[in-house]
Amino acid sequence: MFKSAKQVGRRALLAGAATGAAVLASPRIAGAQAKVIRVGMPTILSGRVAILGTSSRYAVQYAFARINEAGGLGGRTLQLVERDSKGRPDEAAKVTRDLINNDGCEIIIDGEASSGAFAVHEVVRELPVLCIHTNSETSSLTADPKLRIATAFRCARQGIHDAVAGGVYASAISKQRGLKRWMTCSPDYAYGRDNTAEFLEFARMYDPSIEVVDQVWPRLFAPDYTENITKALQVRPQAMYSALWGGDLVSFIEQSNLYRLFANIALFSSSLGDPPVLTAIKQLPPGLHTAYRYNRNYPEKPSNTAFADGFTGVAKHEPTNWAWQNYVACQFIAEALKRTGGRTEGAALAAELKGMAIQSPLAVEEVLTLRDSDHTLIGYPTAWGRTVPKAPFVEDFATTPWSRILEMETQWKRQKGYA
Amino acid sequence: MRQGLIRDLTLGLLGLALLLVLPAVFPHPSLRDFLIYVIAYGLLAMSLNLLVGLTGLVSFGHAAYFATGAYIFGLLMQSGSVSIPLAMLAALAGTALLALVIGAICVRLKEIYFSFITLAFQMFIHSIILTWVDLTGGDQGLRGGIPRPPFLGIDLGQPGTLYIFCAVVFVLCLLLMRQVWQSPFGYTLRMIRDNPTRASFLGVNVVRMKLGVFVLAGTMASMAGIIMALFVSGAFPEFGFWTTSGEAIFMIMLGGTQVFLGPVIGAFLLQLLNHYVTIYTHHHGLVLGILILAIVLGLRRGVADYVADWISERRRAAAPLGREEGAETAPPTPPAARKMVG
Repeated sequence: MFKSAKQVGRRALLAGAATGAAVLASPRIAGAQAKVIRVGMPTILSGRVAILGTSSRYAVQYAFARINEAGGLGGRTLQLVERDSKGRPDEAAKVTRDLINNDGCEIIIDGEASSGAFAVHEVVRELPVLCIHTNSETSSLTADPKLRIATAFRCARQGIHDAVAGGVYASAISKQRGLKRWMTCSPDYAYGRDNTAEFLEFARMYDPSIEVVDQVWPRLFAPDYTENITKALQVRPQAMYSALWGGDLVSFIEQSNLYRLFANIALFSSSLGDPPVLTAIKQLPPGLHTAYRYNRNYPEKPSNTAFADGFTGVAKHEPTNWAWQNYVACQFIAEALKRTGGRTEGAALAAELKGMAIQSPLAVEEVLTLRDSDHTLIGYPTAWGRTVPKAPFVEDFATTPWSRILEMETQWKRQKGYA
Repeated sequence: MRQGLIRDLTLGLLGLALLLVLPAVFPHPSLRDFLIYVIAYGLLAMSLNLLVGLTGLVSFGHAAYFATGAYIFGLLMQSGSVSIPLAMLAALAGTALLALVIGAICVRLKEIYFSFITLAFQMFIHSIILTWVDLTGGDQGLRGGIPRPPFLGIDLGQPGTLYIFCAVVFVLCLLLMRQVWQSPFGYTLRMIRDNPTRASFLGVNVVRMKLGVFVLAGTMASMAGIIMALFVSGAFPEFGFWTTSGEAIFMIMLGGTQVFLGPVIGAFLLQLLNHYVTIYTHHHGLVLGILILAIVLGLRRGVADYVADWISERRRAAAPLGREEGAETAPPTPPAARKMVG
């Protein structure tokens, strides 16, 4: 017994060591053979705005599944590694560093909103992998040359483009219907105030007769809008602009319905066009004006409908604004990887992405472009439409030509000292 | 006293050596990042414990000083006119001044009224950060990164150097707080915590003592904010939101209020749980809540306090009967603190 144990011990030690080494090494060997490209995504997956992160994640998973099923990119497949930042910028910075340093992610799709995107941006300044911001709509992220980073891009709509399109659309309606007296109802934080100011600036630029008779600023995530609604009933404006979004907008419209507020007031909303918002409203009043967020019928292309069906199959709900932005980001990444032959160095991918134009279900004209000068997306849908009670709830999209948007954007950049 | 100082310095040096050796043994950037995160939040929790554990003042608004430190430092560095040490000193001095003004009002109140007025001041500062967009960047935070120009041959742009710098600053702050913890001032604060009326009868100026520790705690929280600003290269309004204060209180509850390093242990545990739970589930709030509930209800005090009490009881049980009464044992957790954690 003793002898046997001793003999086994020596051999077992050697065999065990060899087996152990093989076992320990195998994941690396397997990883090297599989040549998986890991793409990290810091985003918000919990809390009140979790749908931002979950719909972004579904969109990337859907896009990657399609790319991988089609044979990958030169034999390499894409894998998403997502992390919840809980909406905290410091956590966003930490998880982004973790994704790059610990999880071996070679590309970052930044699904953060607002300040989280700026935190991720600074991480990428230090660790220069390719980063595509997909959910931040703050124009300065890419417009301000002081913030620019060679390997960072934005594949999302942005405030200034929407403001120009909204101004053009609203001024046309106001001229046509004689809507002179306007009121605003937007959330009381920087985005709400900036968005409202920019909308009014461009609306009044195209229709100087617009007069703002009152502005109310409910706090963000307020549950009750009665005070703001009764104020509107007192002031009796002809039109109202609102930058409320998500659950706040749903509550506001449902509470307004109790007072039949929109029977006599034309509502212009920056965020109503998102399918989850539209479906959450139990009685959607017809004829409300909204900016495009996503719609399966616009742009009217079979590829857009296919995207909507495919995404809905994965997520079990219609695509959101964040969904299409992330899907398009994946299209750009796939094309860049194709051109680099699968090389993932930030500089190499960035060189390909600068000025890249691709065919996409979401292109309103010919193509979507990641503009060379400021690494930002142009050519996406900025149209406005009107609500109808039946799915997909918005129709009659009116487009503002991108040439006009770009012209006004250039002026805006000069005013801000960005150009 | 002198012997205690030498012991603390030795332990501090050993702790620093451990912090410096860890990334050398496990040279993974993510470990370094994790430790910097623990250092920043650990320092915030330690500074809050000067109020909660030592003085019996439960502040709900301590993150205000964390944010103030981060913003003053970030703004000064973005101005490009000062060096890092000067910006740090200015941020610490500015926060101390703010804590002095706020503290002068708050420390006159007791118990829940003190807690709520600190929360009110925090929300006031948070609102200033959100609304003074031209200066603070509003809800987007300080954009464009925080420059880290080299000073005295130290380049904080290098991740390794930044880590060493944070570890050294952390240990220095701990040593400073330890001296306060063990000083006559610290024992006076314990007396105020346990019986402020008696302290007053004995001639202690209770308000002045409370104000002193309030300013010190605010200044230490400011240092934590500076470390966080250096790490994330920015400052954000969330630093000054009530949830950050709540998290610091969580760390204290998890680690313990009576053992000096309890809050750091709490910060380490919370960040460790947070790190791993977040990887595996998005229901991290639920998992963390259950775990913390189990610890708080099961142990009825922080982990470090529980272990200290357990060791103390074992020693007492092992001591011969004759020596038991005179034996030097750790004092039991005071009723006020038990009430708070339980």
